[in-house]
Parts: sequence; C-alpha cells; structure tokens
Amino acid sequence: MNDTPLSWLAAEYHLPATYSCRLPFSSSNSALVSPAPGPATVRLALIRTGLEIFGRDVVRDSLFPWIRAAPVLIRPPERVALSEQVLRAYKADVDKGRVSFGESVVYRQMAHAQGTMTVYLELPRQERETWETLLRSVGYWGQASSFATCLEVSERVPLRHECAQPLHALSDRIPIRPFFSCVLTEFRDSHVRWQEVIPFDGPYSRTAHNPLKLEVYVWPLQVVRQDGQNTLLMRAPLA
Amino acid sequence: MLDTTTLTIYELSINVRVSWQAHSLSNAGTNGSNRLMPRRQMLADGSETDACSGSIAKHHHAVLLAEYLAASGTPLCPACQQHDGRRAAALVERPEYKNISVEQILQGCGLCDAHGFLVTAKNANSQQGTEARHRLTKHSLVEFSFALGLPNRTNETSHLFTRVGDSKEEGQMLMKMPARSGDYALIVRYTSVGVGVDTDKWRVAILDDRQRLNRHRAILSTLHDTLLSPDGAMTAAMLPHLTGLQGAIVVRNAVGRAPVYSALREDFIARLSAMRSDTCLVYPFETVDAFHAVMENLVATSAPCLPASYRLQQQQEEKK
Repeated sequence: MNDTPLSWLAAEYHLPATYSCRLPFSSSNSALVSPAPGPATVRLALIRTGLEIFGRDVVRDSLFPWIRAAPVLIRPPERVALSEQVLRAYKADVDKGRVSFGESVVYRQMAHAQGTMTVYLELPRQERETWETLLRSVGYWGQASSFATCLEVSERVPLRHECAQPLHALSDRIPIRPFFSCVLTEFRDSHVRWQEVIPFDGPYSRTAHNPLKLEVYVWPLQVVRQDGQNTLLMRAPLA
Repeated sequence: MLDTTTLTIYELSINVRVSWQAHSLSNAGTNGSNRLMPRRQMLADGSETDACSGSIAKHHHAVLLAEYLAASGTPLCPACQQHDGRRAAALVERPEYKNISVEQILQGCGLCDAHGFLVTAKNANSQQGTEARHRLTKHSLVEFSFALGLPNRTNETSHLFTRVGDSKEEGQMLMKMPARSGDYALIVRYTSVGVGVDTDKWRVAILDDRQRLNRHRAILSTLHDTLLSPDGAMTAAMLPHLTGLQGAIVVRNAVGRAPVYSALREDFIARLSAMRSDTCLVYPFETVDAFHAVMENLVATSAPCLPASYRLQQQQEEKK
C-alpha cells in the first residue's frame, strides 16, 4: 500500500431534500444534526454501498484497507438551514408479556442545503474506476431518507480551509468562535479491523475497543441567522 | 411511452411538484394550546416554508401496501397483519420466532421486506434470565422526503372548529386548525433491487421470480395510489384537493442510483431529463393522468433487478 500512487478524488453531491445526520451522543428523542456527514459516516456509507455493488469479499479484501485508512475531507454545502421538527413516535411498552403502544413526541433537527457538498478522498489512482463507481452509487448520507445524488467525480485536490477539520488540527491563529462546531465520529485509527466495523460478518464477538472515536470538528460555516427553532449557516473559509 | 418488453428496475425515483389545496396532511402538534400548528421548515435561502413529513406518507404507504400484498397472495407476518408498526421486531419475544433469521422474516412477510424492520441486539442477562439476541435488520426499500412548499406558492388560513371534549363535563371545545394550500416539492425513492434481498449482507432470500414480481407490483401500485389519492393527518374532514402533479419518474435499469432532484428548482424536469442514458430512463409528466399512465405501464411491464454482487457470484459459480 505504501508505494501505490494516490490521487484525490472529489465527489460532488446534490442534496435535494431535507436530510438528517444525527450527532453522536444526541438522543434519538431529541436529535441534533450535523450540517453534512462526518468522516466515519462517509467511510461507513462507502462500505455499505460497496457491499451492495461489489459484494462482501471484494469490499473486505480489496476496498476496506483503503476505506479505513484514506484521508477524508468534507466540504459542506454553501448554505445550510437547520430546523427543529416535532415528530410523532410510538413507544412500545412490554409488561408481563402484554404490549401496549404509547404515543410520544420526539424532536429532530432537519437540514436543508443550497449548493453541492463535496467529499474528498485520497485513493489509489490505478483503481479510479472502482472508486468512482462506489462514490457515484452513494444514495444517502446518515438517515436513509437523507437523499443524495452524485453529480460528478473528478480528480481535484481539496482546499483544506473549505473543509471540516478536527479542532486539534487547526492553527492557534484561526479564531474559531464564529464557526459552527460539533462532535463527529471518525474511525479509531487506520488499522480498524473488518470484524469491528461489520460485526454481523462472522460469529458475534464483543471487542474491547470501539472502532469509532469522537472528535470535535470545526465546519467552515458561520451562523448568519438564528431565530427560535431555525438556524441558517453560510460557508466561509477557515482562515 | 414504455415498450411492452420487461423492463428490469434497479432503482426508481419519483421527483414531483404536487399541488394540494386545503389540507392539513402533516402537523407539528398543539404545543399545549388549542391551536394545531402546521409543520414549518427553514430552507437554505433563508425563507421559512410549509412542510409535510415523509414519515406520515411512509406510514400510509405501508398500510395500503399491506392490503395490496394480501390481495396478491403474498404472506404477511402476524405483526403486519395487525398493522403493528414494529413489524418483525414485535415477534421476536414469541417462542416460535426466537431464533428466526432475516431470510425467514423476508420469506414470511412482504411488508417487512418492503418497509424494513429493526430488531436490536441484546446481551444475555442471567439475573433476568434473558438470552443474547443478534441484531436483525432490513432497510426500507421505499423512502419519502419531506414535502416542501415552494416559497411564495403556499398559503395558510386558520379555521375555528368545535369539538366535544373528552368527558361530558368538559363540554364543547374550540380548536383552531390550519388549512394549507400550495405547490410542494416531493421525492420518493424505491430501491426495487432490494425486493426479497437481505440488504445488510446483500444475499437473495427469495429466489422465486414470481414472488419478487408480485411484491414489486404491489409496491409500485401503492406508490401510484399514494400520489394520486393523498393520505395523511386530518383527512377525515380535510381531504386535500389534488389540483396538479408534474415531474419526472427516473428508472435506473442497471446497477447504480436513480438520480433525485428537487422540484424546488424550476428546471428540475429539464435537469433530470438531461441525465437520460441507456441505463437511466426518464419519464417526464405534466398531469395526473400522464403520471397514472406511466405508473400503470411500469406496474404491467417491469420487474425488479437482482443485486449485482449476487449476479457476479452466480457467474463465478457457473464458471467453476
């Protein structure tokens, strides 16, 4: 893997409807969302899509070593609006074998975007066709009804200041106060094992290590309006 | 128009601008008051617009699909027969379903197959005497977006209704309810390649083409009805007037995604039509009857694809 020539692939996604990528640790009954998917969501979506298109053996043996290790950068859409939605949910209570349904109210933020979102991945140049097929086949990020259509895949080096970055990677000189930040998940390291990420593939075994880690990320998005349950974010470079 | 030979569908998307008048299909509750709040969503251009959640559309699709499946002789599990929204998850505590597999669930229920289910994993608990349980799941094959009102093309009026309280002592209650009208952008995606397939492992659970075809036809017929006969909240006394339906049905006939594009954009039909290719078929329509004709044709002449990975595996086995 060390000697393989790499290139940056940029996949542009149109997000045609409202979408919802829940933040880690935010309750499913009161879910806050990220303005775009985080790095672990991107890697997991590539694994899921790979299983669909190429099957388990190809993904596990050929693609997974790259998916877990490739640098991932995400450029959010130009504008993102977040609105809190009140949704009806049913809660099943089991008491002495009898199941009763209770109606409950849950809160979930929904996002709406203007402009494309770009996912950048540094991958082997030789297998560009395979990676392009994979990136073009991602149909949603996060929740399955968070639709996405891939408009284009091209070779392009990312502008880091236009992409979400871990807080620790930012220079001390960048004032981060105006930018939107949140906790996101990322793979623990580039050696995460297949069994840790896909626990259903083989005998069930609990691993001591969580394959994911949490990190604070800063998005190149500034809050331009906030009223009641709505927040409007606009892209501005992290510089 | 579609030809009469069988069209295999990997995935299909319906991108529409639908016009509903005087509806209250999806609401945000009363917030403790006597006024029913309409659902609102901020758009990225900063405007706030009327919205209807996809959950309610999906719920009504599932209810009608159960009827279509039963009529076509497709089996339904005991939970789905009773319209239990948990689907297969409602059965796993029963002794006869304790060690059930995803394949068995899919073979035994067309609704669990189409709308998905989630049985959460559980660790064994010696104190409570419960056994460990594996996670069993299937993604829904039919997904609905929020219906978003086009800015400046939706309106709302508030109506005063009277209703009888919960008890005689409460007497008459006054309620304010909204009636909304306008043009809405809506997207539906149907991943037909997943019919009869365990979509976690991409293993085919139903090998009988006739059974897969019956399920596929039932799903398409229900989608047709969902758009032409709107269902949702408050329809008992506020059934919407459907006054327009235009958009594009996009069919992907080989592996890959059927593009989805929002009808919030004026040029959405042109943009989708420009993506037309041998593997991406686009059927634009301007009226309810044109939509009806395309969908009827798809019901009559299309069949679900098999997963690419499955076909690859079959080819490799044939070579051996």
